[in-house]
Amino acid sequence: MDRGLWIALIAVAAGTFLMRSLPLVYMQRHLLKRSNEDAAENMPVWLGILGPSMIAAMFGTSLIPATSSVGSWSATALGLIATFLTWKRTKSLGWPIIAGVAAYGLTKILTAAVLQS
Amino acid sequence: MTSAEAIAPRKLSWVTGAREAVPLLGGYIPVAISFGLIAAQAGFNVWEAGAVSVLVYAGASQFLFVAMVASGAPLWLVVVMSLLINARHVVYGPNIAQWLPHSRWWPWLMHGLTDQIFALSHSRLPLLPENERLGWFTGAMLVAWFSWIGGTLVGVVAGAELTQRWPLLGEVMPFALPALFLVLLAPRFKSRPWSLALAAILLKLSGLPNAAIPIAAACGALLFLAVDANTRKGVNHG
Repeated sequence: MDRGLWIALIAVAAGTFLMRSLPLVYMQRHLLKRSNEDAAENMPVWLGILGPSMIAAMFGTSLIPATSSVGSWSATALGLIATFLTWKRTKSLGWPIIAGVAAYGLTKILTAAVLQS
Repeated sequence: MTSAEAIAPRKLSWVTGAREAVPLLGGYIPVAISFGLIAAQAGFNVWEAGAVSVLVYAGASQFLFVAMVASGAPLWLVVVMSLLINARHVVYGPNIAQWLPHSRWWPWLMHGLTDQIFALSHSRLPLLPENERLGWFTGAMLVAWFSWIGGTLVGVVAGAELTQRWPLLGEVMPFALPALFLVLLAPRFKSRPWSLALAAILLKLSGLPNAAIPIAAACGALLFLAVDANTRKGVNHG
């Protein structure tokens, strides 16, 4: 990489870091100023709603398979069902994900085998 | 998280964080390998691609950065576009601020506040005792960051061979991300998050992959405020 490219890289890195850290510093000062007996009550309402909304939106976008086909969508559906059922049973973080990935992978392999035969 | 984990001794809080970030690796490593592979094809050597992952550490913008550089785009445009993609990170820090006890380390640790670490922190931090949160976050963000850097380096050195030998692995492991988001959302099972997820799917399918998350989330937040205001009005009138 030449010098110009390194400068561009550092500018992107610095800008991204500042976008991640400065709003936190601002909010921490804001909460401190308001003698926060209950920090949650001092949060702007829209911000409290935006957090879970972002997670839901990330969930939605992450569901789109890289290659859209009946096999991919059925694997996604079965993977989600396996994840949810395991979560209902264990209420843990790791096992539902292992079950979901296993169900997704098995469906992928089976549909690929069926299509080949 | 079980109640036993919630009262784990402080010295193990970073181990708990690291362990709880492990499911992220299923999504991070295959994508980082793809990034390394694409960076190598664009002419970046192992140190340069590694530097991008160490310093920027934001998936979509890294892919864009490398692709725009390879296509010969003006550097100022590369910087502006990469930063625009990362603008959604602005709302993550303030959203978890209420659960972060005082420490001068927090602003520096925000380098690791990716989409997935934010989602994990938003769900786990409120359940942890205050004195364990710094350790937990440090453990979780370091595991995710190192896996991203490691995946990038592997991708540059051996990405082509790996994707040729185990093509299915790269397709299957990333399902860990939607599975993780589902587990994080499941306790809040209400119609709003699910309708938002659907909105995000439609936006992404209609050709807005990077704008889908902030647009769907903003629509969801606006709708919630509108419904909330309406309900209060109804209560006042009643």
